[in-house]
Amino acid sequence: MTRTLFIGLDGATFTILDELTSDPYGEGVTMPFLAGLIAGGHKAPLRSTNHPLTPPAWVSLMTGRNPGSHGVFDFVRFKDMGHDVYFTLYDARDIQDETIWSLAGRQGRRIVSLNFPMMAPPPEVEGCLVPGFTSWKHLRRNMRPEGLYDRIKAIEGFDPKELAWDFEREAKIGEDMPEDEVEGWVRHHLPREAQWFRIADTLLEQENPDLFAVMFDGTDKIQHQAWHALDPALRPAAPSESWLRLRALCLGYFRELDGYIRRLVERAGPDAQIFLASDHGFTASPRVVRINRWLGEKGWLTWRAAGDSEAEKRRESANFAYLDWTKTLAYCPTPSSNGIAIRVARGPGEPGVPEADYESFRDTLVAELKEMRDPLTGEKVIRDVLLRERAFPGAAMGDCPDLTLVLADYGFVSVRNVAPVVSMRATPTGTHHPDGIFIAAGPGIAPGASGRFSILDVPSILMHSLDLPVPRNFEGRVPDGLFAREVTIGPPSRRMAAGTAAEPQVADEASEAEKLRILEQLKALGYLED
Amino acid sequence: MDLAKVQELVFEVVAGLVADWDLDAEIGPTTRLVADLEFESIDIIQMVVAFEERLRKRNLGFEKLLMIDGRYVDDLSLGQIAAFLHQRLTVAA
Repeated sequence: MTRTLFIGLDGATFTILDELTSDPYGEGVTMPFLAGLIAGGHKAPLRSTNHPLTPPAWVSLMTGRNPGSHGVFDFVRFKDMGHDVYFTLYDARDIQDETIWSLAGRQGRRIVSLNFPMMAPPPEVEGCLVPGFTSWKHLRRNMRPEGLYDRIKAIEGFDPKELAWDFEREAKIGEDMPEDEVEGWVRHHLPREAQWFRIADTLLEQENPDLFAVMFDGTDKIQHQAWHALDPALRPAAPSESWLRLRALCLGYFRELDGYIRRLVERAGPDAQIFLASDHGFTASPRVVRINRWLGEKGWLTWRAAGDSEAEKRRESANFAYLDWTKTLAYCPTPSSNGIAIRVARGPGEPGVPEADYESFRDTLVAELKEMRDPLTGEKVIRDVLLRERAFPGAAMGDCPDLTLVLADYGFVSVRNVAPVVSMRATPTGTHHPDGIFIAAGPGIAPGASGRFSILDVPSILMHSLDLPVPRNFEGRVPDGLFAREVTIGPPSRRMAAGTAAEPQVADEASEAEKLRILEQLKALGYLED
Repeated sequence: MDLAKVQELVFEVVAGLVADWDLDAEIGPTTRLVADLEFESIDIIQMVVAFEERLRKRNLGFEKLLMIDGRYVDDLSLGQIAAFLHQRLTVAA
């Protein structure tokens, strides 16, 4: 019998859901089932990780640990080799803390986990796991258990190309799109979500696991490009026909989503506890900040002249920095990182800042970043600059950019070599806000509303719902007043050497040495106990 | 592991990767990833993961094969990949 049903809604925010569960504009209630769930359940804003981004935030929700501990900071990870920087993708083997799927499994609970990021290559689980953010070409070999792909393939209407992540298309997130292209974007995500729902519905019925978890990410994708049609603050006084058409499409998506939630809750049965959470919220970003352009103008970064080959052209147009690494001291690796990596010279004559100058270089950079202004309005464009040892303390901190920028409008930076450094968008785009959503309902859940929970609380809540002790090294808690039953604390979750998600790995000596150095640094700063 | 065995492993892993892709290509030492198997960047990353999983070893140094003089290569044959892996495994041993 399914005890715990968890529905992840990537990027969901009460800014939108409060409207869609009521009827402020006479459009009808778009999400009546969710409205009823909230009315009878418990609701709270949910604070994301310090950098509210899908991979680190969902992995924190799965591990109960901050990114400095679990080790996932972005979609893309980079390896500085001195005269070059190599970019590749984070994957499940980079997660250095145990997930709740594993914790539940080794305490006798069966799970189903669908569409969560950073779950490929798939770890062994007691139940079924289909990772999210995986190309259709690689779905078969990235599912657990073996043979699951053929079971899913037998579901009526299954289309792997509709279901899976399209890396080329999703790279357009944040770009200015004409309205008709945005409509196409929204239309694309309708069948995709339907595919995930059909798999969820089938596996919930067939497996009936103790913990069933599925994540719908159309919310995030649609809000990125069609935010202006959803945000109540941006609603035009006299809406155009194209705006009304786009809004109707978006509402259609949320109406469908409400139906999926209803059917999964009904399928789970009246005894199941229901939880919904997002990895971050959403807000409007009207401004573009081209951070590598700024670093170049300051003389800290040098662009690379691209070659003529197809691979070179692909590389130059990719969404990560393409630079002359022999002359670059600091750079932003990817727009999604909002980070700045400071390069420390490995020796005399090597590229980077001399180690002895690191602190003063970083201080100068932070001070100048905090003074960056919009030339049109004179407003500061950076809300905060986070130092990695403060924002992401933990053994994996060394893999994080030295600085993480929080822009004034919470937007993502651009890494392109385009002038000017700061400009306004034709239409505000949707961007990640640190406050997402938490909703709970079902037997044993106290109805009401709370002040802000942390995303790190969610795995504690799920463990408690499964009648399992909360590992004592989880950084979150079970908020007071959410459950009637008393919480128990148990042994800590397991620490994994990087690369152990699938099979035992040979440790990389250089990275192990670096981790030891960082651990020493953290101890010296007082972030870790001896 | 001798070169022939490494080559066999490379063919097997790549054949497994492309099994659902509806391709008509032969798998052999001269088969090229992009020109013959329609690989995109993400497929190359998945291929590296597949080799690491199969060999139970991370950090095989594929960046040294994929980047030459700081520039990304246009294409690679399965024979080149096998030779690279063989050399890396020999050094590691």
